[in-house]
Amino acid sequence: MVRDVKKQALHALSFLVTLAVVVGVLKFMNWAPGALEPGLMSRYQGVDDVQATLGIRKIYVPAYFPETLGWPPAAILAQSKPYPAVVMEFARASDGETMLVIAQAASRSFDPEAAIRFSTVSETVALDLRGRRAQLEAGLCEDRTACSRLEWEEGDLHLTLTMKAPSVELIRIAESMLH
Amino acid sequence: MDLTNFFNSYPGVHLVQAFMHSMTAMIVADRAVRAWNISSPVVRQKFHLIAVFGPVFSYPLYQWFDPGRGSIQFRLDALFDSGRWLDVELWGVLPAVWLILVVPLATTAMFLIQELVPILRHRSGPEDPDLRPVPAIEGSPVVLAAAALAPRPPDIFVIRDDDPEIHSVTSRSPGIYVTTGLLRSLEPAELKVAIAHEIAHIRRSRMPLLVVAYVMRVLLFFSPGTLVAFRKAADEEEKICDDWAARMTGRPDALAAVLEKLRHSAVYEIEDQDPGQPLSEMERMSYDLMVRDRIRRLAEERPAPAVAGDWLKFAVTAVSILVMNYYIV
Repeated sequence: MVRDVKKQALHALSFLVTLAVVVGVLKFMNWAPGALEPGLMSRYQGVDDVQATLGIRKIYVPAYFPETLGWPPAAILAQSKPYPAVVMEFARASDGETMLVIAQAASRSFDPEAAIRFSTVSETVALDLRGRRAQLEAGLCEDRTACSRLEWEEGDLHLTLTMKAPSVELIRIAESMLH
Repeated sequence: MDLTNFFNSYPGVHLVQAFMHSMTAMIVADRAVRAWNISSPVVRQKFHLIAVFGPVFSYPLYQWFDPGRGSIQFRLDALFDSGRWLDVELWGVLPAVWLILVVPLATTAMFLIQELVPILRHRSGPEDPDLRPVPAIEGSPVVLAAAALAPRPPDIFVIRDDDPEIHSVTSRSPGIYVTTGLLRSLEPAELKVAIAHEIAHIRRSRMPLLVVAYVMRVLLFFSPGTLVAFRKAADEEEKICDDWAARMTGRPDALAAVLEKLRHSAVYEIEDQDPGQPLSEMERMSYDLMVRDRIRRLAEERPAPAVAGDWLKFAVTAVSILVMNYYIV
C-alpha cells in the first residue's frame, strides 16, 4: 500500500516536472523575440522612460483630466518595432478601474484591444477637433456603462482615445492634447 | 492583406493559436502517458486525442470566457505570445514569420502527400486489372473464419498478389481485403485472428468519437501537433484492435505470429497509407518499431484494462493543458 502511494507520488512528480519543462520552454520562446529584436511591446514606468528607451519623442498627453482619474497612468505600454506605438491606461483613483485608454501608433492597423471594450456602438459622427477630422463613437461598454471613442490622424500618428464616460468629457480631454 | 494583418485577424489568430495549442497539448499528453505510466491503450488514445480535439475549440472557448485575452496587457503577461515572433526580423532582413511558416507548410504537404492523395488513389482502385479484388469464395477458410467471429461478418475480398497483406475498408460498405500471398502464408488460427483484428477496426470505425476525431484531424491539417497526436492515437487503435482480436480468439500468440510475418514483408498494412505502396526508409523504421511494440505486448502482457485512477489522471492532464493553453496567445 505504502509502496503504491510512493509510486503514484513519483508519477505525479514526473508529470509536474513535464509541465515545468514545457512552461520553461514557452517562457524562453517568449523571451527570445525581445532579445533578437529590441523595441518590441513592453511595459514602462513612465513617459520619460519610454522617450529615453525607445526614442519616441512626441507622446501626446492630455493637459485636462477629470478629477476622478489618477495621474500618472496606471500602465504605459510601448514599442518602437515594428512601428512606434504607445498605450497609456488611466485608472479611477477610487477603485483602480481603467477608465481611459490613450493609444498613439504610427500605423492604422494597430489595435490595442484595450481594457475598455464596446458592447454596442449607438452613434458614429464626424467632428472637427481643432482643425482635424475626427471620428467619434458613442455607445455602451461591456459593463453597460456609457462608452465613447475618438480617433484622428495627427501627422504620421493615429490617435485613439477610449473612455468609460459620455463623449463630452472625452472631447474635452482630446482637445487638451492639442496645444 | 499582408501576412501580419492576416495573423492579427480572427481567422489568423485562430490558426496560430490552434497550431500552438496542439503542439503543447501533444507534448504534455504524450509525456503524461509516460509519467503516469498509463498502460491501457483505450486510455492512452484518449490522452492523445486531447491534442486533436482541443485546438479546434480552444481559441473561441477562451475568447468567450475572457474577451480581454487578446489585449496587450494579457499578451505581455502570457506564457507565450505568438505575436512577438510576427514582428521579428532576423538579421534585420528576414521576417521570422517566413521561417515559422515552413512548419505548417511542411505539415500540410505531408497531409496531402501521405494521407489525402493515397486515399483518393485508393478510391479509384488499382490500375492493374489483375490486382482488382474479387469476393472470397463462399465456404473458403477466410469466409468461414469471419463467419465464426461475427454474426454479420463484413464482405471479404481477395487480391491476387504475392505480397502478404491485409487491410479493411471502414466506409458505409465495409470490407476486408486480403492478398493471396497472405492467405498462403498463414495458419488457420493466424488467419482467424488477423480477420478478427480487421473486424475490430470496422466495428470501432463506427464510434462517433473516432469519426469526429478524424474530421478534427482534417480541419487541423496544417498542425504538426495534431498530426503526431493523431498518429499516436492511430497506433493505440491498432493495440485496441489487437486486444479485441486476442480476446475474441484467445490466441494472442497467433496474432503476434501474423505481425511477425507482415513485419518481414515488403509492404505493411498501415493506417492512412495506400495499401500495397512501399514505405520510405523512415516510415519503415517507425512502423517497424510500432509493430515490434505490438508483438511485445501480445507476447508479454495481458490486455491492459483501464484502472480506476486512469480517468482521474486524464482529467488532471486535460485541465493542465486547458490552463496552460489559456496563457498561450
